[in-house]
Amino acid sequence: MMARNWSDYRTSAWVQWCPACGNYGILTALQRALAELDLPPEKTTVVSGIGCSSRIPYYIKTSNVHTLHGRPIPVAQGIKIANPDQTVIVSSGDGDLLGIGAGHFVALGRRNIQMTVILHDNAVYGLTKGQASPTLHLWIKTKALDTPNIQGNINPLLLAFASGYTFIARAYAYHIDQLKEMIKKGIKHNGTSLIDVLQPCPTYNNIMTKDWYEKRIYYLEKDDPSWDPTISSPEDLTKKSSKILEKMNEWEDRIPLGIFYINNTIEPLETRIEKILPGYRANPPGKRPIEINEKPLVHPFTEFKDRIVET
Amino acid sequence: MLRDLSEQIDLSVMIGGPQGGGIESSGQMLLRTFMIKGYDVFGIREYHSNIMGAHSYYNIRVKSVKPRSVKLPVDGLLALDAETIFTHYNEISGNGYLIYDTSTEGTKIERIAPIEVEVKERIKNDLKEAGIEPIISDVIKYLSRKGVKTIGLPLKDLLRKTAEKLNTNLVSISKTVNTMSLTAMVSLLGFNLKTVEKAINYYFSGRKSIIEANVEAARTSFEFVKENYGLGKEIPDGPNRGKTRMVATGNDVVAMGKVAGGLTLETYYPITPAQDEAFYLGLHRNFKVDENTSKRLGTDKLGVLPFQAEDELAAINMAIGGALAGARTATTTSGPGFSLMNEGISFAVIAEVPVVITVWMRAGPSTGEATRQGQQDLLHSIFSGHGDSPKIVISSGDHIEAFYDAIKSLNWAEKYQTPVVHLVDKYLASSMMSFDKEDVDTSKVQIDRGKYITEPSSNEGERFKRYELTEDYISPRTPLGNRLMMISSLTHNEYGMVTEDPVTREKMLIKRLKKIEKAGMEIPIEDKVRLYGNPDAKVTIVSWGSTKGPILDAINLLKRDGIDAKLLHIRMLMPFPSDYVSKILNSSDAVIDLEANSMTQLAMAIKMYTGYDIKKKVVKLSGRTIMEHETYKALKSVIKGEKDFVVMSDGA
Repeated sequence: MMARNWSDYRTSAWVQWCPACGNYGILTALQRALAELDLPPEKTTVVSGIGCSSRIPYYIKTSNVHTLHGRPIPVAQGIKIANPDQTVIVSSGDGDLLGIGAGHFVALGRRNIQMTVILHDNAVYGLTKGQASPTLHLWIKTKALDTPNIQGNINPLLLAFASGYTFIARAYAYHIDQLKEMIKKGIKHNGTSLIDVLQPCPTYNNIMTKDWYEKRIYYLEKDDPSWDPTISSPEDLTKKSSKILEKMNEWEDRIPLGIFYINNTIEPLETRIEKILPGYRANPPGKRPIEINEKPLVHPFTEFKDRIVET
Repeated sequence: MLRDLSEQIDLSVMIGGPQGGGIESSGQMLLRTFMIKGYDVFGIREYHSNIMGAHSYYNIRVKSVKPRSVKLPVDGLLALDAETIFTHYNEISGNGYLIYDTSTEGTKIERIAPIEVEVKERIKNDLKEAGIEPIISDVIKYLSRKGVKTIGLPLKDLLRKTAEKLNTNLVSISKTVNTMSLTAMVSLLGFNLKTVEKAINYYFSGRKSIIEANVEAARTSFEFVKENYGLGKEIPDGPNRGKTRMVATGNDVVAMGKVAGGLTLETYYPITPAQDEAFYLGLHRNFKVDENTSKRLGTDKLGVLPFQAEDELAAINMAIGGALAGARTATTTSGPGFSLMNEGISFAVIAEVPVVITVWMRAGPSTGEATRQGQQDLLHSIFSGHGDSPKIVISSGDHIEAFYDAIKSLNWAEKYQTPVVHLVDKYLASSMMSFDKEDVDTSKVQIDRGKYITEPSSNEGERFKRYELTEDYISPRTPLGNRLMMISSLTHNEYGMVTEDPVTREKMLIKRLKKIEKAGMEIPIEDKVRLYGNPDAKVTIVSWGSTKGPILDAINLLKRDGIDAKLLHIRMLMPFPSDYVSKILNSSDAVIDLEANSMTQLAMAIKMYTGYDIKKKVVKLSGRTIMEHETYKALKSVIKGEKDFVVMSDGA
């Protein structure tokens, strides 16, 4: 069979985003990444929450799940835990992942399950008409707000780092090729990966526009050819973490893009589960037999001996 | 002849002490002692939401054939501390026993910090009215005057004696004081030393030095009782000698049911009283299958994965994700966690995801009392999930029902592609009963996954109609990874693609409603409602869940008074057996609703489903166990027409 083309991952659904929305760039980059990795559509799952960007599952021809507001990460983990062979990608908005779903965003890092999170980061809630999202900076007044933003912002990269994500990158929605490469690396990474995608919202974010971003963004590895975000030992972490954190913190005049951090020293959840539940990888919860001739495999008196009393 | 005597045995014993002070092991050992003698046991633990120091107690009932409830007063109170005496002194029967530590005699109630202020005041007032000083020695005198046999154990001396015999120091065996108290009580009740020793061996199985110390302590105590008070008249063996039996809590049996029922993933967030089910499941996550089965399945390594989520929002949504990927999933929680799961339940309804939510009800509203009993989530369960959310809600009446319901819930969830709420409660969670292999017979159950397709599509790129409109309203289902498909929380068409088409929306709402109606038609009536007692009795008691045991025991007592009553025990709350319930209620002269909530939620549901308005009600709101004696008294006064509404309040 011929390798798949990115158009094989397109659906016939009408894409309902506004013209020039950053989501288009993310959609195209994701479809291309899937094609270049040649992932079988039924063995790939894009999971989203609620919001403009969370319509993406309808536009990608894989086996997808459109969940609740804030809950794509738990649903995605359930899928991955039950079937570790499935490629699982969370693609959801900043309000979804860092507002209502922030607890799940943090908990995911503790597990380092093999999964990619694509954060559609436009600093506003689009579908509800332009409120401030958790990534909008303090005192910025986008056009739908009646006052400047009186709440500070979350830095998704630092939050991911503190939470234990082992692959952290930032991309720009209109740079499709670079974004596609980061997505591919994220999917192939053996652990939890975050790709924070800065995206203009031409309808509601009149401050952080295409021009605004393009005056500021630059790529880490171009800026510094010696940039190496890979951690292969505890010593690497000690050596490199201050520079990594400094770059994650950089904003305002210059905004760095690229891969900030890859830590290959942390074992993924799948490996940890296999240790406490031998046979997990061979017979994960989604695939293991549960009966024989429609009869249970276990009887309480043969398995739960700690409750037995010989009288 | 001895067998006949054993049939008359109906012993009630209580053991109380500070939480974390060995009360748990003593209770468990006591249960095993009675079982080894051949009797059936039912015991329940009452405890505070606390790790160490607060008052906790077991109430245990012993009969030759399955006791189904506990009662007051008890035949023996074993007080491991002074607080137990102040808390329970008026719960001992006239000729019963109080076993206590003589070193507590000088303790005044004022000195006991863990007793709550209002409880202290109430006890002091009660004592004052009876002319008793609030000091243990005076309470003991009062009990002796009443005829209670008060047995003071000089535990320090006995401990010293034991230490000498074992050639060790006091500290290393200090925990054996509970075993001494326990041995004293059972020897007064007529159980022999051998039975106690066997129970010790069972409970501390394999831990040699602990067994040795406890056995020696038991012997010391036995000798002391024999010399100073004389042993009780030996009790005959019960009918269950020489058998392989089990004693387990409701938490345990639900975990057993789930493992047998093919559960592969259970997500949860720690909450009382659900956590012990997940803990027990965790202990047995790896299970063995016999050689034949492992050959046929190609593996002998099988397991259930219990997974701790960051909160209940995650727990339900992970369970949903797992189910979408083909796992047989459940989540376990209690009221507060169930509240957080509501949006997930609604998602599982619209996305037609099989997931079981085991709800261990406790005393609400809000945080309420985490370790106390309440049946307050009936309406919450029926109406859980925003929007129209038809689903299955089943409640279990006892341990055995809970075992089978755990399996059935997993089946129904997959067969009808729906969330199933399995309602159990604190009463079942922390009560223990004895049972036999035949009581949990897995050959009686079938694992049914419904219209579940595991074959992959022969045609890549072909979209699977996950929500196909079929004649029986149930669409074929397949796991993610197998076919190309779309799952959505939005209104969707047969392919799962989002749509706001009014015609499609209407069809899909009807599909999900009819699916549950179909479940109502297919699920056998005995899984939905049971009638106990004389079907022609004109008095009908209506109830649900764990009230079943005390009501059945109370009905037997009423029979002795010449009152004929039956119990209509409703198990399935959605879809509701309206016709059956309506028929029984409308052919009864008197109908009494009994439940553990203030709104009488079952009566409300019955009115909603059948139009029948129940006027007579008995409730318990104190957060404590519903007991036989108070149920009997309350029902009797209602049946006699003395009252239409009774609140039962017994139990400390």
